[in-house]
Amino acid sequence: MIFIFIIIAFILSFFVFVSKNKIVTTISLSIFSISLLILTAYSYQHINQTDSLYYKFDAIGILMTGILSILTIASFYHSFLFLKRKNNSEKQKAMYFASLIMFITAMLSAYFTENMALLWVSIEATSLFVSILIFHSRDKNAMEATWKYLFISSVGLAIAFIGILFLSIVASENGVSDLNYSSLLEIAQNMNPIWVKISFILILTGFSVKMSIFPLYAVAIDAKTMAASPVNALMSTALVNVGFIGIFRIFTIIAKTSAFVWAQHILMIVGVVSILITAIQLTRVKRLKRLLAFSSMEHMGLVVIGLAVGGIGFYAAILHLIFHSLIKAGLFYQLGYIRHHFKSIWIKETGKYFKIDPLGALMMILGILSILAIPPSGLFISEFLIFKALFINANYFVAIFVLFLLSVIIYTIAKRTFHLLYAEISDDLLVENIKPNPYETISQFVLFGLVIYLGIDSPLFFSDLINAAITVLN
Amino acid sequence: MISFLLILVSAIFFVGVITKVKAKIAARKMPSVLQPVYDVIRLFKKGAIYSPVSSVIFKMAPIIYFSSILLATFFIPIGSQKAILSFEGDFVFFAYLLAMGKFMMIIAAMDTGSGFEGMGANREALYSMLVEPAFFILAGSVALFTNNISFHDLFLHLNLGTNLSYIIGIAAIYVLVYIAMVENSRMPVDDPKTHLELTMVHEVMVLDNSGFDLALIHIGTWLKFAIYGSLISNFIIHSVWTWYWQIITFFAIQFVFAITVGILEAFRARNKMEKNPQWIIMLSAISVVVFLTALIITQKIILN
Amino acid sequence: MTYLFIILYAVTLIYFALSERVKKFVWLLSIQGFMLFGVVFFSLQTIELFDFVFILVETILVKSLIVPLFLNKVRKHNHLKREHEPSVPVFYSIIVVVITLILSFIISNNLHSTQIHTKYFTVAFASIMFGIYFIIIHKNIFSHVVGYLIIENGIFLLSLAVGNIMPMMVNLAILLDVLMGVLVLGVFINHIGDTFKSIEIDQLSKLKD
Repeated sequence: MIFIFIIIAFILSFFVFVSKNKIVTTISLSIFSISLLILTAYSYQHINQTDSLYYKFDAIGILMTGILSILTIASFYHSFLFLKRKNNSEKQKAMYFASLIMFITAMLSAYFTENMALLWVSIEATSLFVSILIFHSRDKNAMEATWKYLFISSVGLAIAFIGILFLSIVASENGVSDLNYSSLLEIAQNMNPIWVKISFILILTGFSVKMSIFPLYAVAIDAKTMAASPVNALMSTALVNVGFIGIFRIFTIIAKTSAFVWAQHILMIVGVVSILITAIQLTRVKRLKRLLAFSSMEHMGLVVIGLAVGGIGFYAAILHLIFHSLIKAGLFYQLGYIRHHFKSIWIKETGKYFKIDPLGALMMILGILSILAIPPSGLFISEFLIFKALFINANYFVAIFVLFLLSVIIYTIAKRTFHLLYAEISDDLLVENIKPNPYETISQFVLFGLVIYLGIDSPLFFSDLINAAITVLN
Repeated sequence: MISFLLILVSAIFFVGVITKVKAKIAARKMPSVLQPVYDVIRLFKKGAIYSPVSSVIFKMAPIIYFSSILLATFFIPIGSQKAILSFEGDFVFFAYLLAMGKFMMIIAAMDTGSGFEGMGANREALYSMLVEPAFFILAGSVALFTNNISFHDLFLHLNLGTNLSYIIGIAAIYVLVYIAMVENSRMPVDDPKTHLELTMVHEVMVLDNSGFDLALIHIGTWLKFAIYGSLISNFIIHSVWTWYWQIITFFAIQFVFAITVGILEAFRARNKMEKNPQWIIMLSAISVVVFLTALIITQKIILN
Repeated sequence: MTYLFIILYAVTLIYFALSERVKKFVWLLSIQGFMLFGVVFFSLQTIELFDFVFILVETILVKSLIVPLFLNKVRKHNHLKREHEPSVPVFYSIIVVVITLILSFIISNNLHSTQIHTKYFTVAFASIMFGIYFIIIHKNIFSHVVGYLIIENGIFLLSLAVGNIMPMMVNLAILLDVLMGVLVLGVFINHIGDTFKSIEIDQLSKLKD
């Protein structure tokens, strides 16, 4: 089934790229979104079955793909609005949509694949396609961001490949000759801890460039500062989830060996340092997109801490990931529209947004409150569970330190956002004659409402899926 | 005794061959092969002039320099011909004899009080310091490979049979050729034909020597070339050959070495002065690789 | 015979530290491709014919011919002549290379694993370390790509060290990496050279706070 989907995606992308026609593009994108939804439903029906030789519909993949399908529809919708605002030519639009289709397909392949080598190849493919998307505006800053992202991403993935090679060494010592995830899990108890430790560190470093945590976070932040908003929405959410899946796979393998406690310590260090760096760097940020990019880093730090602490932390980490994806995407869609109103990208030259577009500003406030984990946002529930797990595990110093850092971050983000919303600025910094478009805010209603609903009263199949995803860790 | 005589004979012709090759490549008229000998005889007939500010060191240094090189020549075997002197670990003694001669030249150059000579002494000291590890590591790896530590036994038991030992042989010859070029202050470290004192390294050190001293220094240069040439030839001559084959091969290798030096001198330009240290340390790096190869062959490092 | 090519590969690493001209970098990359060809030809006699031929073609064709030719085109397009002085003098880089080589030999001496062929592991490890060092000291994005290719050569040797268990997948992955990396990065360097009029990385720091 997935092979069929990938082939359909190739064909659709090819059509879009070759015929620079608006009708063909719209039809292809609709077909693509509908197939993605069908694939999600199919995978839920056939949970835990292997498919197409290298793929398996396991629970975590289904959760990530569900989010991806929702965000795909929203991104396509907002891409249309974005490209119309920018007055791009048909050729540029065709390139944009073709790479967007391939990008989403590559991410899908990374979610469902069972073979570590194919996971690596899919992540490499996402690098390539997202670089085309970052480079869309073709000015100097975009060029700089794309170069840095592409290069460090390649180096990081090379390091992750070394980690996978070490994993194959330890696998072949125990007689397993393919890199399938389920066979690796079976022999995990007998693995020599030294090799697994080295492999874990290398894969963590390599995939940290995708997940935007310490150590290779900087290029992802730069890339998100420059990319277009609908692309940014997918980059900050689905691509970060791809990085998470990579780290999650090796984490579950190491969970069965004797090096598990050591791995949790490493993850704790990584998480706390990520949040520390965010808190320090956020005080110097002067662009809106960069603010949200650093906020992604902070939330990923919290997810990693959740993984590191265990117990209810596992459930909370995945919950946090899902909610963060939905909220961050909504924020980026709103931000794209905000950027349209102002002439410059610097925060100090924006303001009065409440007067210009009340509905959009309301969505912005709701989004920022949600991302800062203030109730009734779903992120509040997952952060509460993470801190509960930290206190149960007697990690008092870590918990108090992280709480302090989070309050610094809340202050900084809130201060900048309120400057955007309420500050008095002169009128020549605004772009004239823009009527607020109510259709821009539909997606955010849906996304934020979904997060609040899932946080307060999550349906049974949702929590069952998350529990199924973390059973391997017990 | 035979080896000492052979080295003397090849020393006489060495520099002449180099000059002839360079002249031939540059399409100039070639001087006779024995021209350096005529120059030295002319210098012997002259008197020496000593500056009033220099001391006894300046008068002493060329003699010590020459005698150290002569003494070092006593240690080199050729094939199965024994050297005059030989004891365990004599290659270290050999290297430090040459270093002592060079040390005397350096302090004699500083003794004259001339700025140019001090600069030349400075550079000479730096380059000798940088090339010393190359020689020692190389000699050490050959000693490790053959399990002997005197020159005579080393070369007696050196048999390059397997593929990997050919690397040691070839790399050792390559490094030794360049060490010879550095020690004798030839290209690409120093240009013997330059007339600008600021660009000289060795020539400017001996600027104030004249007459008998200068003749001794020239003969010392020939001997050093011949020494390195015979070290190189030892890598090629097997000790199981008959004695006349060994002597013929020895002269042939010295001849080829002289031609190689001539070609290298004719076609390369001198390195920029800042580049010289890094070029010389590259020789030490290659000798470290030779050392690692010797470790692999003698299985001190276990690799599967 | 494999040892011969491995030692020659180590010597090319030393020459990388020594050289400063961009043309020499590309030439050395081509020679490294030949060395890898030699290593593969004399060691992998036990895997099946098709995989063997594929790896041989990959090393000779891609690493020794296509990639250096493409890099030469990029070099000519941007008129690169010589690397500006690297931030660490060449003298110390050579010392670092030698120390890295000695360290990797010591490490592989102490590795007691039956699964790794330590004779490849030595230079593979040294190559990866040196590639990372190379990227750090040079300030020019062309040299960064060269450093990336050195790392890739090291990973190729490491995959040989791991054994002949799964040659196809591993080589496909490395081939994809090299091709995608070099072609995309090369095209990009041309773009950047045209827009910024230079390829120093000091020009590429407008995005910082």
